[in-house]
Amino acid sequence: MSIINYASREIQFKIVYYGPALCGKTTNLNYIHQRITPQNRGDLISLATAADRTLFFDFLPLNAVVIKGFVTKFQLYTVPGQVIYNATRQLVLRSVDGVVFVADSQWEKMEENVESFKNLADNLAQQNMPIDEVPCVLQYNKRDLPNIAPINYMEYVLNNGKRRLQSFEVISSTGQNVFASLNAVSQVLLHKFSKQDDVPSPAPPPVAISIESPLGQPHSAPV
Amino acid sequence: MSPIPVLTIEDVAALDGVLEDFLRKTEADLTVVIDRGGNVISQFGDMDVTDVTVVAALAAGSFAATRELARRIGELEFNALYHQGNGTHIFMNSVDEDTIMTTVFGRGTTVGLVRFYSAAAAQRLAEILKSLRHKTPTLNLAPVSSAPVFVDR
Repeated sequence: MSIINYASREIQFKIVYYGPALCGKTTNLNYIHQRITPQNRGDLISLATAADRTLFFDFLPLNAVVIKGFVTKFQLYTVPGQVIYNATRQLVLRSVDGVVFVADSQWEKMEENVESFKNLADNLAQQNMPIDEVPCVLQYNKRDLPNIAPINYMEYVLNNGKRRLQSFEVISSTGQNVFASLNAVSQVLLHKFSKQDDVPSPAPPPVAISIESPLGQPHSAPV
Repeated sequence: MSPIPVLTIEDVAALDGVLEDFLRKTEADLTVVIDRGGNVISQFGDMDVTDVTVVAALAAGSFAATRELARRIGELEFNALYHQGNGTHIFMNSVDEDTIMTTVFGRGTTVGLVRFYSAAAAQRLAEILKSLRHKTPTLNLAPVSSAPVFVDR
């Protein structure tokens, strides 16, 4: 849960990158770490095995000034995607404010995507956080690979809850739409804490912001 | 138990008072109160010792990871953890079911002293945090712009 500290004029948010094994969660954090202005970020901490598989979590603290008079600290975590590490995922999800679900677009990974998304919902439910109430965006990652499922299929299998989630076509290895998805989940979080009367409600989430679209200019894909 | 969404200046002063007293008695370098999700609630001492944000995330993870170990020997969790370095050490102790106190100290003091005073400090912190959790938070933040929060260089 976020903490608002009026003494230090800080707000803290926790964002977790969730998804199946090898879907690109750590790659997202690596790209953000490389590309964000150094004074706005801390060190990227990776608790990984010798083979660079996430064992516990990756952690990247970011700072931004988006609410007047407050430094907003975003703490980005990844979870280990491998099925056996569910207890670890539950620990990392504790007190989460927002989720970026990273799905692997390859056909053979679709079952793992669905299983991981269900696992996310189950683990959030254990914290009394219904997934439909947690700020969340979807990434359809690895769109540069040849054997990928079409976006409308991915929307059909993953974005079929009561609440339509904002979704992004992503190539995390080159950074395409990595910041767009981070900004999207950040905006949803921030609007929860701003004066509701002064801020127009965010536009309804578009369907799958494509790689070709300029940032902030989403278009709708057929569903 | 619910988390603490909003800390007022008075709340932080009350917490800092306990931490300042603790540091004065133990001569430790830094002490940080964190929630079990890794968020910093309050901190006091020499901030140059380390990056408090990172320590909070790792300490919460470390504490959580040993919980399963504790269960294997019939304990609910370990109430305290001690990581011994060559010159600088970390002592962590549970404040309440949502909060941990993490203390960094060096050769100027001993783990026995830190451990001894941490128990009383944790008790005082728990009382303050309990009262905070019963307050209804009031938010009065400025509106948020729709501009991107983070920019890709």
